[in-house]
Amino acid sequence: MEVEISRRKFLQGTVAMTVLGGTLATTSVFASEEKENQKNTPGIPKTVTTKTSTKKAKEVPFLCGMCVNKCAGVARVEDGIITKLNPNPYFPKSRNMLCPRGNAGIQTTYDPDRLKYPLIRIGKRGEGKFKRVSWEEAYDAILNGTKDFKGIVQILDEEKDNRSTIGYCNGEGLSKEGFEDLMGKKIGTPNYVDEVSICLETAGGGFFATLGVYPEIDFEHADYMIILGANRAEAIITPDTMDMFKHTKGRGLKTVCIDPRFTNTAAKADKWLPVNPGTDLAYILAMTYVIFSENLQNEEFMKKHGVGYEEYKQHILSKKYTPEWAEKITGIKAKDIYEMAHEFADAEHPIIYPGRRSIFSPNDYQLRRAMGILQALSGNLDKKGGYIYGNPIQLPAEYVNSPIYAQAKERFDTEGIAFPTIKSGSWIVFRNMILEGKNPYPVRAMFIRKHNPMMGVPNSAKTRKLLEKMDLNVVIDILPSDTAMFADVILPEASYLERTSPVKAYGFLEPSIVQRKAAIKPLYETKTPEVIYKELAEKLSKPLFEISKKYDKDLQEEIAKRGEEKVYKEDGYDLADAWDKSVEEKNKELVEKVYGKEAWEILDKNGVYYPHMEEYHKQLSPNDYQYYPKSKRFYSTKGDSLRVICKYDRLATKGIDAMPTWHDEWKFSVPKGKFRLITGRHAQFTQSGTTNNAMLRDLIPTNYLWINKRVAKEKGIKFGDMVEVKSEVGTVHLKAYPTEKIAPNQIFMLHGFGSESKGLELAYGNGANDAAVIKDDIEPVYGAAVMHSTNVEVRRV
Amino acid sequence: MARYGMALDYKNCINCKACEVACKEENGVLLGADKHRIWVGVKEIEGEWPLLDIASSTFMPSQCQHCEDAPCEEVCPTHATYYDENGVVRVDSNKCILCSYCMNACPYDARYVDDRTMTVDKCTFCSDTRLARGETTTACQNTCPTKVRTFGDLDDPNSEISVLLRTRDHFSLKSHLGTNPKLFYLT
Ligand code: SF4
Ligand code: SF4
Ligand code: SF4
Repeated sequence: MEVEISRRKFLQGTVAMTVLGGTLATTSVFASEEKENQKNTPGIPKTVTTKTSTKKAKEVPFLCGMCVNKCAGVARVEDGIITKLNPNPYFPKSRNMLCPRGNAGIQTTYDPDRLKYPLIRIGKRGEGKFKRVSWEEAYDAILNGTKDFKGIVQILDEEKDNRSTIGYCNGEGLSKEGFEDLMGKKIGTPNYVDEVSICLETAGGGFFATLGVYPEIDFEHADYMIILGANRAEAIITPDTMDMFKHTKGRGLKTVCIDPRFTNTAAKADKWLPVNPGTDLAYILAMTYVIFSENLQNEEFMKKHGVGYEEYKQHILSKKYTPEWAEKITGIKAKDIYEMAHEFADAEHPIIYPGRRSIFSPNDYQLRRAMGILQALSGNLDKKGGYIYGNPIQLPAEYVNSPIYAQAKERFDTEGIAFPTIKSGSWIVFRNMILEGKNPYPVRAMFIRKHNPMMGVPNSAKTRKLLEKMDLNVVIDILPSDTAMFADVILPEASYLERTSPVKAYGFLEPSIVQRKAAIKPLYETKTPEVIYKELAEKLSKPLFEISKKYDKDLQEEIAKRGEEKVYKEDGYDLADAWDKSVEEKNKELVEKVYGKEAWEILDKNGVYYPHMEEYHKQLSPNDYQYYPKSKRFYSTKGDSLRVICKYDRLATKGIDAMPTWHDEWKFSVPKGKFRLITGRHAQFTQSGTTNNAMLRDLIPTNYLWINKRVAKEKGIKFGDMVEVKSEVGTVHLKAYPTEKIAPNQIFMLHGFGSESKGLELAYGNGANDAAVIKDDIEPVYGAAVMHSTNVEVRRV
Repeated sequence: MARYGMALDYKNCINCKACEVACKEENGVLLGADKHRIWVGVKEIEGEWPLLDIASSTFMPSQCQHCEDAPCEEVCPTHATYYDENGVVRVDSNKCILCSYCMNACPYDARYVDDRTMTVDKCTFCSDTRLARGETTTACQNTCPTKVRTFGDLDDPNSEISVLLRTRDHFSLKSHLGTNPKLFYLT
């Protein structure tokens, strides 16, 4: 057997490794002298990596914060320094592992570029000139402004206490809810946008509407899988990634990967079929057609659980969604579709993999509905080897005493959206309506936490305009991101290894409760998010109450009736009262209340708790653990209450198809000479948040432009050549990687690179920011961002 | 006294490189893409879009094979390279003069230069970190998401690795060279 083992080959063979760390001559805008001194600061390691010692060390259970999965780990702390992160074998969901990013988390905490103390802008917006200030000065600047920008008191006074003039956003994470409490419930603005509308909103929504769940999969017992677009080998999702690939490659789970490009997931499949971007729905409809036309569905199951089932069957058959029809649209051969439909029908536990990926096409909601229904046609729902509903273990939500502000207005980002989400809206529509002057009242401030819209929301030029338009931008983060460059006030947050976070429950097959504990104290002058919320709330509370008193008639009446002090306290105007207790106290109280004292002790010690853990949890081998014995896992929990909504009439009331239907406007086409830009992820970084991580940069120093080898040759583009990628919204430059893993009319680049923040020494100017070239198209159901609709020109520069 | 080896369920490998990072953080290995003690061998896939040969695209996790007849040990003029009491091939940095004979002799390309000590470095099976503390897994094994790696004592018939090698087919790399590697690839 001829196998590849050489280190040098490895260096050449992996595109990620080929251009080695071309040193970037940049100087940090944030105190470069500090970087030099850093080596002598207590609590900061003297070398980048620290060899673990043979001494006994402190071991602290934590939850990883490098991506959304929250894997459980144990931090090894020696003399106050984290020297190693190891997997925590108690958490069912993370299966005793940490991925490369999880292992490299140390480098994020000790990143010399971190935001170390509060900063106030002194230069122009976006210029990156800041002044170091105390926390008190920073809070004061938020409240009262400086000579360079307005404060929140002035803005709210001018807007007559319309709290909705403040916008805010927050990326995914354990302290996100606290920020929502502060901004939404306490300060009282509805104008919130987050990662959901630039991520997988339609996937969750489509599956929920159809099956009542965005399911987990029991890979252990599944025997056939079709995975569309989701790249589980590189965009790691737990426990899917760990479970899936133990069974692929002839070991029980026959796998077909359908993806425009050849990913690492494709490499692990039995068959890879490239599909035209954005046409997966036509493929799923054709699969459904074969099933119905040959009567291969589990009729009994659908008769029992289907809603609008007969109509859906008629719909699919009468529309003639044949494989021959789909071949022309998708590029997948009709014979392959027949074969897959037969394999799917013949399998005992077939899976249409529902799992996470961004929204690629405007029909994504309907795609998810069609996938859910196709899965249901096999009857492989709510049982071993199928889609798992499981046990939705839950912790009660925290009560927050929220004041009602009479002057606050409703959110407005609804243009072009059938079902606007009230909670976190649509990033693109929110931004664009403000830029187009379609907002019914001004939005004048943005509070931005753990979120980098400059690199996450399609069409960066518009995001820049939005941020420039604001009277006040407040950024709470751990690194000086591109977005932080537009801040007026920056509040430095403790990284996930420096903080204890609110407890979290995970349901499904093997439910559990987990807690992140601080491995070390917050470094430099950083503070944990909850401390920041509390202090900011304390600072804002009285002055903002004064503004309400001035403009809010309801409040004036209440005060006249009950007296000011009573109203302030009882009606929630004391903004800081939500943080009277620390995270640690709240966690203890909550868990003891629901599961008892002993449960809390187990959780606090191990980082994980679930009922009967001490009895169920066993090590089976050096690598494998049992979390729940099979007989205790929640394979089937729905019973007769299971519903499969084939026809969803409510959708039609807002002009959305009640049943998944193909429209020819979704056909894939690229004008001659242009390329369709597709984007995606890699296992060695998350989003823009990890591109300054020294260890990960070792593994993937930059993002390359994948371009078909033969096309590249025609265009005279060789590996490593700098190329320009130009769309109607922007232009970026990056290095080329000619490969046969992509179609001649498509190009691909990894998301998250191309930072323009000079505060990030490693990420600055490295590669290209896809958000700068992706058009700001939305899908019609929620107004969520569509990532794969942009055609671009490519040329060597 | 043990005879340590590692079995690799390489079909599970997704080329995520968690093992490489864990190794670097555990053992204080220098940053730099050429300073890895372990790596995953990848080949650019064969064929032309859309007809690509999936079988040609494999991920082969690799590192020092801890050969029982190690060419690196044979050529080392100062005996810096030696077999420790557990059969782990080690380098004594105090004796290494960086003649680099071993680097050339190693058929697996497992050695590199540590710029701090200016001596040769390579995988140690975490002997002076985890094993020295009494732990029973290497950093790479412990962290691997898909559980590719099983480290253990080949002389102990009850060890997981011995059981795996008894019950599953496996091969080793460049076995014709007579190096007797102790990394075993499970099929
Ligand atoms: S998948 Fe990796 S980055 Fe994400 S939480 Fe787990 S270890 Fe951390
Ligand atoms: S950690 Fe495991 S899956 Fe990842 S590259 Fe290493 S051996 Fe492969
Ligand atoms: S793999 Fe190379 S370095 Fe390791 S023992 Fe064999 S010859 Fe020596």
